[in-house]
Amino acid sequence: MRVTQSMLSSNMLRNLTQSYEKMGKQQEQIATQKKISRPSDDPVVAMKGVLYRRNLTEVEQYKRNFSEAYNWVENADSSLDKANQAMQRLRELLVQTSNDTYDAEQRKATRAEVEQLKEHLEEIGNTKFGDKYLFNGTDTTNKPLDVANGVYPENNESVEIELSKGVHIKVNIDGTSVFSQEMFDDIDNIIATLEDENTTGDDINNFLTNMDTHMTNLSNERSSLGARYNRIELMDSRVSEQEVIATRVMSDNEDIDFEKVITDMKVQESVHRAALSVGSRIIQPSLMDFLR
Amino acid sequence: MRSTFMGLETAKRALFTQQSALHTTGHNIANANTPGYSRQRVNFGTTTPFAPAAMNRPQLPGQMGTGVEANSIQRVRDSFLDIQYRQESNKLGYWDSKSSAISEMENIVNEPTTNGLGAVMGEFWQSLQDLSVYPENDGARNVVLERGQSVVDTFHYLNDSLNQIKDNIGNEISVSLDSVNSLLQQIASVNSQISDVEPHGNIPNDLYDRRDTLVDELSGYIDIRVTSIKSEGDPADEAEGLYNISIVGANGKEEILVANKDYNQLGFSNGSGKLTTSTPDDVNQITIFSSDGKEIASKKLPLSDENGNLLFSQGRVRGLIESYGYSYQDSTGTTQVKGTYPEMLDNLDRLAYSFSQTFNAVHEKGIDLQGNTGQSFFGDLGTDHENASKRISMSDITSKEVAASTTTNADGDVNAGDGKNAVNLSNIQNWLMNETVTLDGFDGAESINLNDYNRLETASMNSFYEGVIGKLGVQGLQANRLAGNSEILKQSVEEKRMSVSSVSLDEEMTNMIQFQHAYNAAARNITMVDEMLDKIINGMGLVGR
Repeated sequence: MRVTQSMLSSNMLRNLTQSYEKMGKQQEQIATQKKISRPSDDPVVAMKGVLYRRNLTEVEQYKRNFSEAYNWVENADSSLDKANQAMQRLRELLVQTSNDTYDAEQRKATRAEVEQLKEHLEEIGNTKFGDKYLFNGTDTTNKPLDVANGVYPENNESVEIELSKGVHIKVNIDGTSVFSQEMFDDIDNIIATLEDENTTGDDINNFLTNMDTHMTNLSNERSSLGARYNRIELMDSRVSEQEVIATRVMSDNEDIDFEKVITDMKVQESVHRAALSVGSRIIQPSLMDFLR
Repeated sequence: MRSTFMGLETAKRALFTQQSALHTTGHNIANANTPGYSRQRVNFGTTTPFAPAAMNRPQLPGQMGTGVEANSIQRVRDSFLDIQYRQESNKLGYWDSKSSAISEMENIVNEPTTNGLGAVMGEFWQSLQDLSVYPENDGARNVVLERGQSVVDTFHYLNDSLNQIKDNIGNEISVSLDSVNSLLQQIASVNSQISDVEPHGNIPNDLYDRRDTLVDELSGYIDIRVTSIKSEGDPADEAEGLYNISIVGANGKEEILVANKDYNQLGFSNGSGKLTTSTPDDVNQITIFSSDGKEIASKKLPLSDENGNLLFSQGRVRGLIESYGYSYQDSTGTTQVKGTYPEMLDNLDRLAYSFSQTFNAVHEKGIDLQGNTGQSFFGDLGTDHENASKRISMSDITSKEVAASTTTNADGDVNAGDGKNAVNLSNIQNWLMNETVTLDGFDGAESINLNDYNRLETASMNSFYEGVIGKLGVQGLQANRLAGNSEILKQSVEEKRMSVSSVSLDEEMTNMIQFQHAYNAAARNITMVDEMLDKIINGMGLVGR
């Protein structure tokens, strides 16, 4: 084939341009740490990229929901623990005062403590974290208890939090069964009975069965709460694993293999140097230089 | 009997001929770097020998040669390579314009990143999940409103930017048509100059080069067929004649654009019958206008058939029209629009419509913080999805009016801690749009027939969007790849062409030496004849003096 100077120089220019283009692409990959920067670089990677990002966002969101679930469950548990202690104390007092050696004066003294316990239970029933009342079902903005005005928990709807796709976990306990009107009525009766000078030990003893029922309610709720707490913990660790997996899958899909790109870049750099130095030799002395 | 001075005559012819070869060499060297120049060669030929065959020819032993003459000056060029070059340049024009249009679209859509529509919508769904966990919290509610606003803003941004680029492409179409018209006019004008020269037997090589360069350029814009017509008068055998140029449609139909000295122009018909190249909103045909700018009613080039398949001539102009969009009448007579940008905008509209209308429907089932049933969250878009990505807006809603709950208590007040409708709202993204979904958390069974708002066929919003991005990527990849391929092919043909036609300085130098030596030798020949005559005239006839 006939080769002319203009062919050589236009080829050289084209090769240099291509070499610059490759280096530009590698530079972009290194700077962004991504294999692709636009869908047409690799449509499959791009499409998967959108999908994996969404998966990761979802998992991250569920992780965020967990902290609120823990908030609910742990606060409820610790409140129930306090309530349980108060009820224990109440029961102790009942057992003590049901002893007929206690006289009316002593029972009156006990009554003061029972009143305190009742208020304590009311306070526990009105436990709040953040803006929400814990023991009023989904009606979290209204106070569940105001014994003086005859307000007792009414709402037994469950508060559910989505902790994994389609899995909603109930995080509250049923305030209507733990802080029920019956319980407070019973305590009021106890107070009235203790006040009464004619009360006998048997009268007081009769309350024990009722108190036991309330305590069973409470411990039932508490144990079911505990079971849910376990479930939440299990799901938490699973979702954490999912987060790791989702991050890895996303990274596998679109992140560069740094060593590889750096190596490629080094290779390209030496190719480019070679191309440049060859370029300087392309423009050769011509016949003219030798003719005299 | 031959002439005494015949030797002088022969040598003089040699001098002239070698001189003309040297001048042509000079012309080649001078144009070594002229784009489109093909090297020229002087075709040498011997002159008619003495004596010619005739009744009264002198009796000589054989014929005497009478020297050399330049038969013609021809450019060295392979017209087959020209045809190949134009084919490749035509494909390159098409794919190059498509690839850059798609690449601009990719810049705007900006996926996969943390700033694209996908990410903004993702944040919106996240804010609804947060709301489902803190339904009584005003902060969470405000975040939902803000994120909803940014989804709306993103739709507006995409719509505006895509439309802006679409307009730019429209301008590019006008500019391209102007270039085409100007090229056609120039080709006709070169044709006219050639038609002045050729009838006299001359060969205007440099005009041929100029015309071929113009045709090369034109081939990038439209697919053309070149036929050459012999000049009138007495043209030389090597004369290339006048070019007739026709535009070739994808359906094989041709329309003549340049015939001899006359040319037509391409433009859009706007009813006035006058030539205009400014691109209308609705492009459905390109019309041929005469050189004085009058519409030729019988000559319209339809852009596509009734199935929307493009019929227009391949090339840059078609690539631009495909990106800009074009309309056509389908078999039922309805006007349809196709094209890369209109289709992307349409997809966005569908997404915006289904998104906002479905969201509203679910939101309206819910109960807000004041115990009222939900209002519409986004502005109502009616029943038509056209321009939805432009029309989508937030309705006038306060944070307390976000309907995150599903239940009320006996007094009709909301259960503020109930965030189940927020969960319903955050799940919209995954619902298949051709189904009926049952909403969670309501006392009675509440369900929504998504078909009422479906503009996405069987997809969910997420998969629809992913599909759009995937399709964009595939189209872009194909356009980039084919643009690259046709670039390489064009270059390889170009190289072949250069191999035939471009000037090699070494070659010219060698030729120059060759011609120079021939010139010198011819001059020496004259000296020889001179000496011979001197002998005859001055040295002879002195016998006995």
